Amino acid sequence: MKIKNLFTMRIFILVLFILISLLAIHPVSDKEGVAIRSVETNSSAAFAGMTVPQNAQPTSYERILEINSQKISSLDDYSRAIEANEEKLVITTDRRTYTLLNQNVGITVDKPASNNILRGLELQGGTRALISPTEKLTEQQYQDLVDTMENRLNVYGIKQLILKRASDFEGNKYIIVELAGATKDEVKELIGKQGKFEAKIGDEIVFNGGEKDVTFVCRNDGTCSGIRSCNEVQGGYQCQFEFQIKLSEAAAERQADVTRNMDVNVSEQGYQYLEKPLDLYLDNNSVDSLNIAADLKGKAARDIVISGPGVGATQEEALEDANDKMKKLQTVLITGALPTSLEIVKLDSISPTLGSTFEKNALTAALFAILAVAVVIFIRYRKLKISLPMIFISLSEALITLGILTMMKYNLDLAAIAGIIAAVGTGVDDQIVITDEILSKESMNWRERYKKAFFIIFIAYLTAVVSMIPLLMAGVGLLKGFALSTIIGVTIGVFVTRPAYAHIIKVLLNE
Amino acid sequence: MNLEKIYDKNYKKLLLIPLILLALSIIFLAVNYARTGSVIERDVSLKGGISMTIEKEGLNEEEISSFLNSRYDDINVRVLTDLSTRKNIGLIIESSDVEEEQIKGTLREKVEFADEQYSAESYSATFSESFYKQLIMVLVFAFILMALVVAVTFRTFIPSLAVILAAITDIIVTLAIISLFGFQISAGGITAFLLVIGYSIDTDILLTTKLLKRKIGTLYERLGQSIKTGLTMTITSISAVFVGYLFSAASVLKEIFLIIFIALIIDIISTYLGNASILLWYIKKKK
Repeated sequence: MKIKNLFTMRIFILVLFILISLLAIHPVSDKEGVAIRSVETNSSAAFAGMTVPQNAQPTSYERILEINSQKISSLDDYSRAIEANEEKLVITTDRRTYTLLNQNVGITVDKPASNNILRGLELQGGTRALISPTEKLTEQQYQDLVDTMENRLNVYGIKQLILKRASDFEGNKYIIVELAGATKDEVKELIGKQGKFEAKIGDEIVFNGGEKDVTFVCRNDGTCSGIRSCNEVQGGYQCQFEFQIKLSEAAAERQADVTRNMDVNVSEQGYQYLEKPLDLYLDNNSVDSLNIAADLKGKAARDIVISGPGVGATQEEALEDANDKMKKLQTVLITGALPTSLEIVKLDSISPTLGSTFEKNALTAALFAILAVAVVIFIRYRKLKISLPMIFISLSEALITLGILTMMKYNLDLAAIAGIIAAVGTGVDDQIVITDEILSKESMNWRERYKKAFFIIFIAYLTAVVSMIPLLMAGVGLLKGFALSTIIGVTIGVFVTRPAYAHIIKVLLNE
Repeated sequence: MNLEKIYDKNYKKLLLIPLILLALSIIFLAVNYARTGSVIERDVSLKGGISMTIEKEGLNEEEISSFLNSRYDDINVRVLTDLSTRKNIGLIIESSDVEEEQIKGTLREKVEFADEQYSAESYSATFSESFYKQLIMVLVFAFILMALVVAVTFRTFIPSLAVILAAITDIIVTLAIISLFGFQISAGGITAFLLVIGYSIDTDILLTTKLLKRKIGTLYERLGQSIKTGLTMTITSISAVFVGYLFSAASVLKEIFLIIFIALIIDIISTYLGNASILLWYIKKKK
């Protein structure tokens, strides 16, 4: 009879919430291979038909199981297979088989996810920058800023990035950039700087970065871009990079106008150059100074070769430096300058290992905390019939809160974990109130006792929620996770899990 | 009944204990403010600076701290521990005025570490200052909203005030204790005080409801029941946050748990000596 009494609407709702949460979190045990996180456009993977759907859930990424009949079970296996210099790659995934050229493969892989919970930066590692414009921006400029930044990071080749606008109480506007893969220096260079490119002859600006002046930038193509020479210089090595760009007609005309009345100088080697060089500046720092051949005088030349040096202690370092600088310059030439100069006000970089340490640790801490609660509850009531349901309810509260955060696509951070623990803690307090009211002999009527308990619980709930609301809006949302998970947790508690708990206790104690 | 003996004659004296505690804390914090210009000591997240984490086992905290401080001023070194394995898993190094690259370079003279073992957070001073001010505003708003809910619920002046006074006591005394032990508070720590409001309030609401709104049983029987229930709630929470504090590695979590732990202990005093005594006084006066 007792079992049958348990099944009421309240229990049904609790079970439903638990099921939906499990479905959203979707824990999987099949984690073989490596997950395909992104595929570059115009890469051989894209030509072979590989795609990554937008908004894919972490557990639904396609997984590479074999490459050229070699089993792939780790990221190391994957890079070994790609670097094996086979001409063709036969890639078997959990869905189908692709055949592609081992050239410009364009796949980014990651360890397969064991569930759909999105890990925030603190738990998975990466770089986060909070950027504030140094001038007041109009809405349009603000939007341009975000778009240009996004474009710039994309052109540079950074995937898996989150770019969001944020503001605070005082009306300051910010942009938050989170990148799983990039290093801090890359972030500083790419978005911490305005990227204002100027090509000047004398004091006249001939062209700037961006599609208005520069219609084409050659990159990733050895015939028109690359490192052309490396030389030993004083104190190390210097490598020269070079790439072609195409100017718009207007920019080419400007160059013709400026050079029309110039004198021609002859160099020691007998080459003829115009008297003034073409000076390239990035954010007001000189990049390079190029001599202009005499036959270009007064001509609207559209094809221009941009060059610059990279330096290092060894040739390898100089080569790498030149490559980095070239990539950055190409990026700003394509995307143009940001509408304002910027200041990075907060820059975090978390190593992936520290992230996973924190994640594991937070889980153990939470489990031990629940265990401690169980012990205290058992000492007080001396009944498994009370302490077991309480633990079950607490765990399901945490689970449902996690499930809802996952459905909201919220990136779980340490603040959110603290919030979940806090909500579960309040939950236990409420369950104690319920238990004591139900055990009390004050009133014979069960419904009345229940109502009394819920009066107290509801007021406590209201105060908890209202005290979290200001935090939702403050401090550029850095601690929003805390407020959000606490509010979700206590709301689920009051409307779903505690009514169910009251019912379970009533049935179990009414034997 | 024992409880009646304790409370009936002495409730005015008992009330003095939380009041004296509150007064001492206010004086302490005020002196602090006059001396340093800040009520509590803030960490780099609230005053600007850099916090670096080197995740490497077996680094010697004292040695590295004295090494770094021989080169620069005011560098704070802490150990990162994983208590579930009881191992020192790394170091946290904080500074408000020295550049990250400088410290990193100096550190590399002494310790070898790979880039994967290195994490860093940096905060600009102006941003941190505004962040801090906003969090204080958040705390004040949260408190006002809570007070409104309490006032609307009980609709009587003295009992509502008693609840609010208990919450104030919890926050102020905890702040003073934190400050006394020389802990630096971070952004996460300030949000812990939001939770303190929540945790502090529910035992007070329980007590007030039982004493004012219930009619069955004598006054002291009802007081006894609410102490029993309330203490169970508080002790459960205390043991949960204590265990949480012991086992978490992330310093944000540790700090949040520690603040709630202290506040909950204070809450026992402010609720059952402070709030309960005021309510008894109020009920006796009304009769």
